Parts: sequence; structure tokens; C-alpha cells
Amino acid sequence: MTTLFTNHGLSAAASREPNPQDAAHALALALCHEHAGFVLFFCSAEYPLSQLADALCQAFGELPVSGCTTAGELTPDGYDRGSIVAICFDRRLFAVETALIDDLEHFDLPTAQPLVDGLLERCRRQAVAPVNEHSFALTLLDGLSSREEQVLATLDAALGRIPSFGGSAGDDNHLTHTHVYANGRFHTRAAVVVMMNTRLPFEVFSTHHLEPLEHKLVVTAADRERRRVLELNGVPAAELYAALVGCSVEALAPPIFAQHPLAVHLGGQHYIRSIQRVNDDGSLSFYCAVENGIVLTAMQPTPLLTDLAHMLQRVEARLGEPAAIIGCDCFLRRMALESLGQLDQASTLLRQARVVGFNTYGEQHHGMHVNQTFTGVAFGALPTP
Amino acid sequence: MALFQLPDSQQGDDIAALREENHRLRKVCTALMERVESGGSPNGAPYAAFERSVLLAEQVRERTDALHRTLDELSQVNARLLAANAEAHAANVSKTKFLAAVSHDLLQPLNAARLFASALETHALPESSQALVGHIGRSLKDVEGLLGTLVDISRLDAGVLHADKAPFAVSTLLDALAEEYRQVAGVRGLTLHYVPSRVWVESDLALLARVVRNFLSNAVRYTEHGHLLLGCRRRADGLEIMVGDTGPGIPEPQRKAIFLEFRRASQPQANHSRGLGLGLAIVDRISTMLDHPVTLASRLGHGSLFSILVPYAASCGALEGASSPVPSAQWGDDPLQGCVVWVVDDDPAITEGMQALLGSWGCRVRAAATVSALEAASDGERPAVLLVDYHLGEHRENGIDLATRLRRRYPGLATVVITANHEASLKRATREAGMHCLLKPLKPLRLKMLLGTLLEGR
Repeated sequence: MTTLFTNHGLSAAASREPNPQDAAHALALALCHEHAGFVLFFCSAEYPLSQLADALCQAFGELPVSGCTTAGELTPDGYDRGSIVAICFDRRLFAVETALIDDLEHFDLPTAQPLVDGLLERCRRQAVAPVNEHSFALTLLDGLSSREEQVLATLDAALGRIPSFGGSAGDDNHLTHTHVYANGRFHTRAAVVVMMNTRLPFEVFSTHHLEPLEHKLVVTAADRERRRVLELNGVPAAELYAALVGCSVEALAPPIFAQHPLAVHLGGQHYIRSIQRVNDDGSLSFYCAVENGIVLTAMQPTPLLTDLAHMLQRVEARLGEPAAIIGCDCFLRRMALESLGQLDQASTLLRQARVVGFNTYGEQHHGMHVNQTFTGVAFGALPTP
Repeated sequence: MALFQLPDSQQGDDIAALREENHRLRKVCTALMERVESGGSPNGAPYAAFERSVLLAEQVRERTDALHRTLDELSQVNARLLAANAEAHAANVSKTKFLAAVSHDLLQPLNAARLFASALETHALPESSQALVGHIGRSLKDVEGLLGTLVDISRLDAGVLHADKAPFAVSTLLDALAEEYRQVAGVRGLTLHYVPSRVWVESDLALLARVVRNFLSNAVRYTEHGHLLLGCRRRADGLEIMVGDTGPGIPEPQRKAIFLEFRRASQPQANHSRGLGLGLAIVDRISTMLDHPVTLASRLGHGSLFSILVPYAASCGALEGASSPVPSAQWGDDPLQGCVVWVVDDDPAITEGMQALLGSWGCRVRAAATVSALEAASDGERPAVLLVDYHLGEHRENGIDLATRLRRRYPGLATVVITANHEASLKRATREAGMHCLLKPLKPLRLKMLLGTLLEGR
């Protein structure tokens, strides 16, 4: 059941035990040691969550634990489903502090600044590494809260120069309830901020495998509160999108959304705006904020595996062989790999690069809420003194 | 159906289709215009937050690049400044060393010359010659005094001298000085008023004496008529020892400058123009070292008043007659007390100086130029700390290698490498070897603190 590696103060394990007690116990057995300082986990939304919360509290005791539900897990073996994967951080190399944001509606800068300052101050007191230049923030957000953009922009302003990345929690494509875990409980409409201060070299990265086409679609009617695009180019959105990809409105489904994404073009970069579903009124729901009058560019995929391999090579060129990578991988990427029959090849790449993480409903990179990317942090080897 | 921006040739002349297309284009135009006119998205809207984050990330990238470039330039400038500073520092050190060496070497033959001159005085000589011999003797004595001053200031600069504070009655110092200078002043036709005090102060007696002596000899030198004053005034934070004169006074612009080396106020009369102008420079250094502030008040044409503020002894009464001023309770607390310190340096003057310095802190010091000499002197006693000079002469191993060798025999031996070499690489090498590094000129307080930390952990 368990796969594990230990490298530079990081160890990871995964369990497929369906019983929460058994799963939590197996993880604690594999990960707990006298220098364990923090545990980060990603679990399938299939688990009975309140029982899992109790089991985790019992198994890990005083050890701080944070995590979220997923749309698939990245375990030390690669892609998986219905499992729970966890990473343990050695407190001699990592000072980790967490905060729960349970009021996403009123998360403003006067709230964010003391929260970030408090996290940094508590990291500083552990005196693991200088806080400047050696810290980053990991954010886990409720993926259906529709508050990602504002919360991230606010948090990013408070973080200043500290890099940040993260993922929106998933629920195995049910799109009903996504949860983040902190303080011994699962929460909805909430976010967890994990501040990591480490002696290991690290790099926060983000990549996607999509390139722009000629077609431009203008949003001519939108419901911003519900992230819905009602019309594109003056035509009901689903109808126009179906015509663009060459299928019927009825045939529109996530694998097609993954294959034919749309993006906004800002500051020379394309940022994917992923479609979540087709609504009965012919509108399209998105995984991220939309607005009337924005211009969407039709995108097409390039080989995902090539892009992934290149990205991992770039990271390795800068950091050396990674000690571990925490990855937030959009579930639409997984879907694309599944439809191409390339999931196993991707798993091999991820396993070799020591990636653990989860499939998200959206990724976060430097305060931006993005879709259909692979975003994360890579840790290098501890420099020899 | 027709897509915006896609050719729709088969419907090209269908009016209804064109109407439809036109209708859509109007919608597109309206949406775009609304968005443009609202200056992007309304504030607070989710998409606006995303857009701002993107643009901010863009700006941050640009600024970070600019910042990195500036930092690079700054670090280059910094490196050049550091090099220049190290050079200046090295020049200063070598100047100090040179001065100390020259002064010291000159004193020996001078001393001999004076002995010969006084021997000559005892010979039967014609009267004219006798006067000449007398002049020679006095001139030599003056030169000796001047050289002594030079030695003092170079020793102060080199950090060889260190304060040894203890409580004493100020009268033990001032009574003697008053007696001495009453005679000197008398010769110059001046009177000295001395106001004795019974207060106890805490200071280094010898160094403080040098300060007051400098005040007094300056007063004598620059005062043509009138009188001198030596006395004390009780202040809240200490006893102010004052020397006043009725000399020409010091003009305001010169009052700072006279405390620098080789500076004098207005030229005194030719017949007593002696001294290098180092007196007050010495006063300034000692005052800094003892942390006793010096003040100067002066009125042109009326005179000057120099004073130094000395702290009161902790409890005067209890210490009266006590010979050892060090409270024995401190002995147990001081980690330096009685610990064995080995010093390896090829310069005997340094080993001597270190012996005196470390000895005064209560350390048991074994100092030598080589390890074998050290071990011979130490009777198999285990050292607690090793102080080693990095540069041990042309053809010998360096201090780090020597220490590494010694540490094989004495595992965990705390080691301080002392060097005048300011290169970062050397500092790194010592750190990598698990040793500490102190730069020359050695600051006694710095050394003492480091030793304290090294020994406390034991």
C-alpha cells in the first residue's frame, strides 16, 4: 500500500486503504519520526471526511497537518485516484507555519498583512534559515468558492517578494464540495496558507503545453458572480464554442474542454480560462473569473509529455536533481493524458522527478489564479556546507 | 453557423445572414466599448483582481530585474571599496608597526648615548666643554622623551596597551603629580594651585596619570605668566579632574584639531618648543580606551581648562586599604579564569604581549613560536583554547594547518586563527575548518568576548 522515499528532510507516502483509520495509521507509520515537523496531505474526496479528520488527529497527534481534497492524487508512484498521499517535512530543514482563512468574503489587506507577518515571525523564531529569500507560501483553496482571484490578489500583496503557488481543492469531478484541511478539521469556503521556510534551495514554477490559434472570441454577456459566460461574439456561448471545436452542444464535455481551451492574452502571456461545464441555458461555466468584454483566444495543445519533460529538465538544470517536487496539476491535464492514453508515461516522468501533489480545479502562481497548468515547487539538494 | 472572423462565403449575399452578422458585431463592439470605457473591469470584480495580479507580476518581474542589475553594480562598487579599505587598513597597520619598531630600536642606542654623555660629565674637562656636554645630555634626554611618546602612541594604536581598572583614592595620583609639577612650574616662574580630594575613583592608574601629566605639561609649556590649577570637581556621573592655566587660550576652530597627531595650537616660545604634538592625541586615545570623556574650555587670552571625567569607585569605604580590588565572587563566574590558553606566534613581541594580556584576564598562558616548544612548556596539560597566527613565517606551515594537526591530538580544541589577511577566502577557510578568525590589529575586547563564548560552552 505504501510507497516512500526519504531525501533531504522530505519523505512521502501514499495509502489506498479505503478505511480512514487504516489509511491515517499507515501514513503515520511511514512518515512520523522524531524530527517530523509538518505533514501536508492530499486525499480523494471519496473518503468520509469527518472520520478521516478524526483519524488524522489521532494518528499524527500534536504534529501540525494541513491538506485538501483532490480530483486525483500524485503519489510517489505517479497518478492515482481514491487514495491519500502525504509529505512529511523535517523540522531541522523546514520551518512550516500555517493559517486558515475561513472568511473568504472579507479577506482584505488589513486582514492579510498581520496574517502573513505572523506566519513569517513564527517561522523566523524557529531559526531554520533566513526568512527572506528562503521562504515561499503554499495556498490551498476551496476550488468552488469563486473567491480565488480576490483572495490571491490580496494575499500576494501582503506576501510582497515571497513567492507563492498552490492549487484549488477538487472533488473527483463531482463539482459539489471541495474541502481544505487545517486545525484538525475539513473546511469549505476556506483557504489554508502554508508558509515554508527552508534551508533547501527551491524554485516555484508553472508550465502549460498550449499555444494560441487565430480565433478570437469576445465575451458579449457574462454573469461574473457565477463565473458564467452567456454569450460569445453575440451568440449563446455553448453554441459558438461547439461550432468552434466542431461538435454538437450536447457532445460538449470535460475531455473536449481540455482539448480545446480558451485563454486571455495579457502582458505577452496567455492565461488559460478553463471551461467547467455547459449549463442548460446555453451558457458556459468557467473555473475562474470572467468578465464582459474580455477577449478569449482559442488555444490548441502541443504534446503535453514533451512540455512536461522540458520543464522538469529546466528545473533540474537550475537546482540539480530534485529532492522532491510538490505539484499542483490541473485535472484537465490528467483528463487529456487519459484520453491520449499517456497517463502511464506521464506517471513515469513524475515519479522520476519525485513529484507528489494532486489534481486541482485551478492553480495559483504568484497571486494569479490560472487553469490547465502544472504549477509547483521543486526542492534541490541541501547545499554541502 | 458563421463564426466571427471566419469566412462565410456560401452565405455572402444572403441579406438575413448579413443582418445577423451585423447584429453580433454590434454586440461585440458594445461589449468591447463598455470594457474599454470602464478602464478594464470594475474594481473589486474577480476578473479585475486576476488582471491586476498578472500586470503586477509583470511589473514585479521588470522591477526585480532592474533591482538585480542595481544590486550587481552595488556589489561591484562594494567589492572595490572593501579592497580599498583593506589596503588602507593594511597601510595603517604597517605604519603602526613601523613606528613601534623604529621607536623601539632607536631607544636602545639613545639610552647608550645618554650613558656615555653622563660618563663624560664626570671627566675633568675645560669649562666651555663641560657646558656643551651638559647641553648634549639634556638634548638626548629630550629626544628620549619624544621617542617614548612615539612608542606610547604606536602601542596604543596597535592595541597592545589595555586598561586595567581598579579603585584607588584620587589623592594617591594627584598628590604626587602636584608635587612634581609644582617644581617644574616654579622653574618657569609659574605657581601651581592644587586642591586635594579624598574621593575614590575607578580607573587605570597609569593611563590616567599619563592623561593628567599631559594636561600639566601642556599647561606649563604654553603658559608664559600666571598660575596653573590642579583640582577636582564632584559631578553626578563621576569625578572631574581638571587642569587649568592662564595661557593664551585655544581658538575655537582649533579645539578639535589639537587632539589629532602632530598638531599644536599657536607656536610656543622657541626655547621650550619641544614635543611632537602627540600629547593630546595620546590623551584622546586613552580617553576613548578608558571611556572617560575629556572636555576642553578655553577663552582666548585668559587660559584653558582641560578635564577628564572619571567614574567613582563602586563603594569607596569598603575598599579603603584593600589591596586586591577584584571581588573574589567573580572568580567562579568568569570562564577565562584559570583556563589554559596556547598561543603560537613567530613574533616574540606578540607572544609577550599576548601573555601579558591573557594573563591579566586570569588565563594560564603558554606562548611559543612552535608547537614543540609549547608542549615542552606545558607539562602535558590539555589546552582549552588555541590562538594561532596564520602567517608563521616563510617556510612553515600556516596557522590553519598547524591547528588542524594539533586538533588531531586534542579533539575539539577551540581555535582562533589570527591574521592580518583580510581576504574572504581565508575567513572561509577557517570557518570551513571549524575555527574562528580574528583580524589584526587584534581588538582586546573582541578577543575577550570570543574567548568567553568559546569557554562558556565547556
